[in-house]
Amino acid sequence: MAKKKKKDGVKIEFLSKLRLQEKAFAEKLDMIMDGVKEENILVLEEALSPKEKAQLIEKSMEECDEEFPGIEFSGFDSHDNWLEKIIGRITGKPNKNGLLIVGSSDIMEKVEEDKDAISMIAKLE
Amino acid sequence: MLKRLKKLLSGLFGRKDQIKLGIYGPPNTGKTTLANRISEEFTGEKMGSVSEVPHETRVVKKKERINLQTNGKEISMNLLDMPGISTKVDYKEFIEHGIEEEDAKARSKEATKGVVEAIKWLDKVDAVLVVFDSAKDPYTQVNVTILGNLEAKDIPIILVANKTDLDEADPDNIRDAFPQYNFTQISAKEKENLEGLYREIVENI
Repeated sequence: MAKKKKKDGVKIEFLSKLRLQEKAFAEKLDMIMDGVKEENILVLEEALSPKEKAQLIEKSMEECDEEFPGIEFSGFDSHDNWLEKIIGRITGKPNKNGLLIVGSSDIMEKVEEDKDAISMIAKLE
Repeated sequence: MLKRLKKLLSGLFGRKDQIKLGIYGPPNTGKTTLANRISEEFTGEKMGSVSEVPHETRVVKKKERINLQTNGKEISMNLLDMPGISTKVDYKEFIEHGIEEEDAKARSKEATKGVVEAIKWLDKVDAVLVVFDSAKDPYTQVNVTILGNLEAKDIPIILVANKTDLDEADPDNIRDAFPQYNFTQISAKEKENLEGLYREIVENI
């Protein structure tokens, strides 16, 4: 397998809610995986549901190999109350307000995370 | 509210013969040590090998027909020890633990399959013990993802703060991070408060 080419820095891509709304989740997943395998950090202006997060982990595990060890991700969820959650489930449109930061675990490392604050380190080596 | 309704209906119409109790959590939180303690106590047999090397459990291990009894109550279950869920598996980490490169790569491949298998089982379990290392930060996306998926399916959850024998253990940190769930703290290694865990299981599952 060919060795990865060293990069001068880390590219950070910000993806707006508007842009993400146009895509089906499978497309978003492919876009995320393509981006992180290019060693970019993606910042999405939307939260993932627990099911979508599980699919993201599954997909990253399926694509794991000697060159790609997986992902690190973090973000803010919508923190819906139980009524909002039920409405989201019934309508099939969960609240997507929030933020997702995702990158290859090769270059991204979580430092601290709680419900309303995150700090990450991007490794430049 | 849904959980309460489900519990009420289960009380009225009886529960399944054998519930499938999954043991979930990130790698190296002591899931297999706990599974072994439960299995040994109620069947006399262990379930799997334990190791300091992450991802020792790489396939779902099952022990059927465990009759857990405590305080005059009994629950019959199939116990499922899940591979640890992780967002990354790097073979170099196994080499750091003294494993040869080829074996490390093979182990890494098996570990990724194990994570996928554990995630797929989230749809099939009836109740879950989510096991945490009390000395580590509990607020991780892996834990949030496990809990969020179980909650979305109204699957009963008990948070188990394990490794309370460690000097740096802070089980309250886990309770504070996820205050909405049933909680207990144990040391599976030192067999501390397993009785408390059994009580939580028969009363809340």
